[in-house]
Amino acid sequence: MSARPTIDVSELPHHGFDTLDPVWWGNNGLLVIESSMFAILITTYFYLRQNIQPWPPPLGQLTGPLNALPDLTFGTANVALLLFSLLPIVLVDLSARRDFRVGAMAGLVICLLLAAVAIVFRAYEFPAVKFRWDANAYGSVVWFLLGMHLAHLLTLTMETLLLTIWIFKRNFDMKHRLDLTALAIYWYWVVGMWLVIYCVIYISPRVL
Amino acid sequence: MRDDDKRAQTQDHVAEAAAADYRRTMEQTWARPHGLYGFLIETDHKIIALRYIVTAFIFFLLGGIEAALMRVQLARPENHFLNPDLYNQVFTVHGTTMMFLFAVPIMTALGIYLVPLMVGARDVAFPRLNAYGYFVYLIGGLLLYIAFFLNTGPDAGWFSYVPLSGPGYSPGKRVDIWAQMITFTEISGLIGAIVIIGTAFKMRAPGMSIHRIPLFVWAQVVTSFMILFAMPAVMLASGFLASDRLVDTHIFNPAEGGDALLYQHMFWFFGHPEVYIIFIPALGFVSSIIVTFSRRKIFGYPVMVLSLVSTAFIGFGLWVHHMFATPLPQLGQSFFTAASMMIAIPSGVQIFCWIATLWGARINLRVPLLFVLGFFAIFVLGGLTGVMLASVPLDLQIHDTFFVVAHLHYVLIGGSVFPLFGAFYYWFPKWTGRLLAEGLGRLNFWLMFVGFNLVFFPMHQLGLQGMPRRVYTYLPDTGWGTLNLVASIGALILALGVLVFLINVFRSFRVGEIAGDNPWGADTLEWSTSSPPPDYNFLYLPTVQGNYALWTQTSETPIVIGLSAKKRETLVTSVVDAVPELRFELPGPSIWPFCVALGTAEAFIVGIFTPWAFVVGAVLVFAALFGWFWSDPDYENLKVIGAADKASSVERPTRLQPEKA
Repeated sequence: MSARPTIDVSELPHHGFDTLDPVWWGNNGLLVIESSMFAILITTYFYLRQNIQPWPPPLGQLTGPLNALPDLTFGTANVALLLFSLLPIVLVDLSARRDFRVGAMAGLVICLLLAAVAIVFRAYEFPAVKFRWDANAYGSVVWFLLGMHLAHLLTLTMETLLLTIWIFKRNFDMKHRLDLTALAIYWYWVVGMWLVIYCVIYISPRVL
Repeated sequence: MRDDDKRAQTQDHVAEAAAADYRRTMEQTWARPHGLYGFLIETDHKIIALRYIVTAFIFFLLGGIEAALMRVQLARPENHFLNPDLYNQVFTVHGTTMMFLFAVPIMTALGIYLVPLMVGARDVAFPRLNAYGYFVYLIGGLLLYIAFFLNTGPDAGWFSYVPLSGPGYSPGKRVDIWAQMITFTEISGLIGAIVIIGTAFKMRAPGMSIHRIPLFVWAQVVTSFMILFAMPAVMLASGFLASDRLVDTHIFNPAEGGDALLYQHMFWFFGHPEVYIIFIPALGFVSSIIVTFSRRKIFGYPVMVLSLVSTAFIGFGLWVHHMFATPLPQLGQSFFTAASMMIAIPSGVQIFCWIATLWGARINLRVPLLFVLGFFAIFVLGGLTGVMLASVPLDLQIHDTFFVVAHLHYVLIGGSVFPLFGAFYYWFPKWTGRLLAEGLGRLNFWLMFVGFNLVFFPMHQLGLQGMPRRVYTYLPDTGWGTLNLVASIGALILALGVLVFLINVFRSFRVGEIAGDNPWGADTLEWSTSSPPPDYNFLYLPTVQGNYALWTQTSETPIVIGLSAKKRETLVTSVVDAVPELRFELPGPSIWPFCVALGTAEAFIVGIFTPWAFVVGAVLVFAALFGWFWSDPDYENLKVIGAADKASSVERPTRLQPEKA
């Protein structure tokens, strides 16, 4: 058999952080898809706004203020909560990178609790819109915005739950440390997207 | 025998035994599962791609039958072959089938089969996700056709405009079935895009830097990025439509502040990139075929890549040309006229580069190249009528007439289906190990070419004479009868061409000429392995030393060793320069993609009838995802950064070391 030059890759590692990992690319591709979806949803919000003056539409002739702006309470609470949740998730992210299991466990538990509260707050945000989804186009599009983001909150919570169970019950292995950094990116995205949607739903009708 | 010779002989025996052991171990590690359960857990990209191809081709035939039904009905005025309601369903299902169930999936399929092989990988980057994508596509197609056969197929056109498709004017569940089928096919398309991007970016052979990537792979990557940005728009549009119908949202209801035109914007923001999603992979086929059959490097490789990218970008700026007949401001419309004309430039540049490649080359005019020449003729005609339609004044006259039907079929069939058939003839030997018959192939081509032009060329004139689209019949004194009859006869000839193709395929499966590894003398890496490829694609992963891998390969071109044969290991390399980075373990067969697909199916099918289906579906999907990600314990007992795998003589061939001079 004649010899053929070779490249020996047996010394290469099995895992790498961030752009080394194909899963990083897959995850970020999924986030591009979801961002496109939200971009079009937000465009829909502003498109429909052209049709309805005043925006939001009046609640009713004799009941309360003419403009039914959404109540700021729970939406703003969620902004504060989700911004605060960046602390534990950064802890998780850094702990995963530095092989600090206790930090990751603590961070994940706090994240789970915060996510659960955020979901409860979201449940109160829907009535705060003051219109049902079937009342008019304003109600429909705002419920869609809140609902699609809620879907992401739920998925995020489920993913956190799975990883928390794994980290507690099994070992703090490399593959799952990488998964934690992927979870962190998803978490940052969900928070960032909420800031944008919060501005669209709660701020834009008040300032624009 | 001298001691040196004995030692060398022993070493040879050891090396051969080690190599044979290595091959056997690889075959065991990558062995495919069997039986019905094996079908459900399969993750091999080649098998999944072939499933996509077969399924999509069956949908192509069904769509063709629907077309034939329409041509029979329209062959003469005041025909009674199809009643109006059935005709509405037939043209809706024809368009929906061709666009969503045939065209995009089959382009994805060829990418899923060939991209890993062309970049020198063992499988796609995400095999289980790939499997899930196929199941979701199949379920969506079945949903549409079961409904159609139960006389509850959608009937509001393949794009299903509101208000016709809204709750006010389309009672029942026909449109809901359409809307949810969209969800399935778009999820499948998006998944395919993620899979292709991950594979093409991170799993290329060492040395396949970014300027050495085959144009086929470039086309697939560009298409995948278009999919990421375009498909969410139609998912939202169909989602809004479904919710308007099911739970009384008012996104498209003008009476409550909604907007019917918004649907058109949203749909066509997807719809125009969609046709480029269908077209751009075909440009990849054409480049592959022209390079092989002219035995020349492509003229202007960087320009070809930039043309693909700029076509994709400009393609996102055209959508309003489907809405010229709406009361949108003229200044805005004229922007889209400009963009719609501008997009002809990169396509034109590509055609000139291909002509330059062929010019003066020693051309091997086999059937694949014949289909590419057919593409040139037909697509250019379609592109010209496209530039005509880009002009608002002309479009206002011929919008919604058969002129548009002629244009769209010239660009889609010419631009995508002809290259696709060329691709079938070109890659069939790789998939099956046998060549398709050359004579039957030529007959196939000419029947399709003549038949196609007979069907669709008269439609230009019919459109200019005012024949509208989507009418189930027409009056005799319009004078449209003759050209319609010609078109219907052409349809028969086109159908015969497809029949000849099927005969060729079935015959060649059994008695076709054995292909060998590289029957065409082609340059890309898939031709360096057997036909069909082994389960692991390449026994040792290749490296690449130039563009046109096999034409720049020498006996000094290295191969990759050191990947474990006991695990499904492939190589991960860097995005730009393809420098080896990781040994990546791919998951083996798994039932979880099928389970997630079932959960998805419950959500979106039962969701046609009640919104609570989504709650149940979410629970099912999350449960199945738990199973998916709760991975095999052995998976993590891999060495971390820096440590080396202890390779036994079974795993690493001893003799294939570089000879020390």
